[in-house]
Amino acid sequence: MAAVQARKTSAQERKHWDRKWIPYVLLAPAIITIVVVILSPLVTTIYYSFSNIDLIRDRTTFIGFDNYVELFSSRLFWKAVEINLKFAAIVVVVPTLMGLFFALLLVEEFVGRGIGRTLLILPWALPWIVIGLLWNWVVHSQFGALNGLLYSLGLIEKYIPFMADENWALFFTAMASAWRQTSFSAILLLAALQTIPEDLYDAAKVDGAGMRARFRFITIAWIRPTLTIVLLYNIVLGFLQFDAVWVMTQGGPGDATMLISVLLYRYSFINFDLGMGAAVSNVLGLITMGVGLIFVRLTYRSQSTYS
Amino acid sequence: MPANFGVLGAAIARKTATYFAFFCLLFWVGFPVYYMLITSFMDSPELGVKPPHWIPQEPTIENYREVVIGETGQRGSYGSTTEFSRMMPALLNSTFVSVAVVLSNLLIGGMAAYGFSRFDFRLSRFAYLGILMTRVLPALSLIVPLFIILRKLKLINTLWALIFTYTIFILPLTIWILREYFDTLARDIEEMALIDGATRLQAFRMVVAPLAVPGLIAVGVMSFMEAWSEFFFALTLTNSLTYPPLLMSFRNLAQVNWNALAAATTVGVLPPVIVAFVFQRYLVRGLSEGAVKG
Repeated sequence: MAAVQARKTSAQERKHWDRKWIPYVLLAPAIITIVVVILSPLVTTIYYSFSNIDLIRDRTTFIGFDNYVELFSSRLFWKAVEINLKFAAIVVVVPTLMGLFFALLLVEEFVGRGIGRTLLILPWALPWIVIGLLWNWVVHSQFGALNGLLYSLGLIEKYIPFMADENWALFFTAMASAWRQTSFSAILLLAALQTIPEDLYDAAKVDGAGMRARFRFITIAWIRPTLTIVLLYNIVLGFLQFDAVWVMTQGGPGDATMLISVLLYRYSFINFDLGMGAAVSNVLGLITMGVGLIFVRLTYRSQSTYS
Repeated sequence: MPANFGVLGAAIARKTATYFAFFCLLFWVGFPVYYMLITSFMDSPELGVKPPHWIPQEPTIENYREVVIGETGQRGSYGSTTEFSRMMPALLNSTFVSVAVVLSNLLIGGMAAYGFSRFDFRLSRFAYLGILMTRVLPALSLIVPLFIILRKLKLINTLWALIFTYTIFILPLTIWILREYFDTLARDIEEMALIDGATRLQAFRMVVAPLAVPGLIAVGVMSFMEAWSEFFFALTLTNSLTYPPLLMSFRNLAQVNWNALAAATTVGVLPPVIVAFVFQRYLVRGLSEGAVKG
């Protein structure tokens, strides 16, 4: 009896100790490392953006908003914004539409569906740098696959130097990003499509709804939350993409594919103007944080409707 | 009779449309990948022919030999070693980094996710939102201060710099997905273990962790892919120690050997592709949970 009692109290004590300290022990490593590696650089970047950093004399002087004034009055920055908007438009529209198209295909039952679903993962599994190289082979002016295909089909007389043309270069760098995002979008949309209960369609059929009505009021309505998330992810990528563009064009020809991220790289690592680089970072960060906030709000709203 | 014919016709039309769409999918995904594969089995004269050979006429494994062994068959004026001899060490480094990231991420992230799931203490909500917001920050913008911190720690140009950084950038996603898992796992069993005298840590290790295995696999696979693929930090924090920046440096050479580059690319994507195919089911689940609920 006493032994049982003793065991109980020690269990209770332990439980008390648990409640008090274990949570902090569990969270400490994650929170400390995130503060060191993400939050402190973030604060530093904000400080840098108000500073002039002289790397040679190792001197940092506070200059207020001068970097931002210089940035917003430079033609280069607005050019980068314009290029980035065009780039993002392709990276949002193409993957969302094609992703939906492939997802709708892969919920159908047909021989080859398994192969299709597995193949869909492939672009998503490849590193961005490899995707840049793959598309480099597709559009190359001397041995590109696209040129080869058009030539084989007799559609062109001689190979087109796609990447020497400003518009083609921007289009194909965006398509390389769209290629992977199509897979990402399709995987998410397919997962959402698979949760639609079959009876919904049956009930709608009984009620006399046509194919178009069923698609709009059941399929699209059901996957709308996922569709929103897919859109937002694609928008964020449209502004954060760097790797695939860097490996394909490094911002060229001229400045044709100079996204905001490429401009940031040029300021920080080619001109070594860290103050200006930090200012570009913060503008870019504000854009994606803005998108992120919309995304968090939408998520919370959709959660509250379910619970 | 006409009605029947209509139904049959609709079915045929649907099948045709399905297979047309399937063909589009195969072409869209397969064409760039296929072209890289055939390039890797050609020699450089064959790559330049017009119209291109869609099937290599004399397939060669010379490119793979160059990448794997680091030697070319024909001895040129520079001797027999090539820049591709850096490939195998880089793949080893990538493997080490990715595995280390998976382990540390599961450990730290798992602990934090469990903490968030089981205890509702004062700062937890705030900290949680903060962790999530870090997901939308451009990593690009943190690089300069991060570089300075890592230089002070004397970690620049070491694999530890990458392991450290990757783990932390993947943590928010890990915590997000694993918390969902821990939330759904029945607490009753765990409570019973606690009453029977197990400590929290024992309860976690013996009751919660085994039940959370699918979630842990999903997160582990995703962090592996992320760590294997990362380019920008590897480029700026190290001197091309891992696979992605090394690939970029091959591409930037004055005389690019495109065929060997294709072989190098192919060899280097095998690990993430195999992992993705093997763990396909977990991956899709983790991906959609991480994205849709996140």
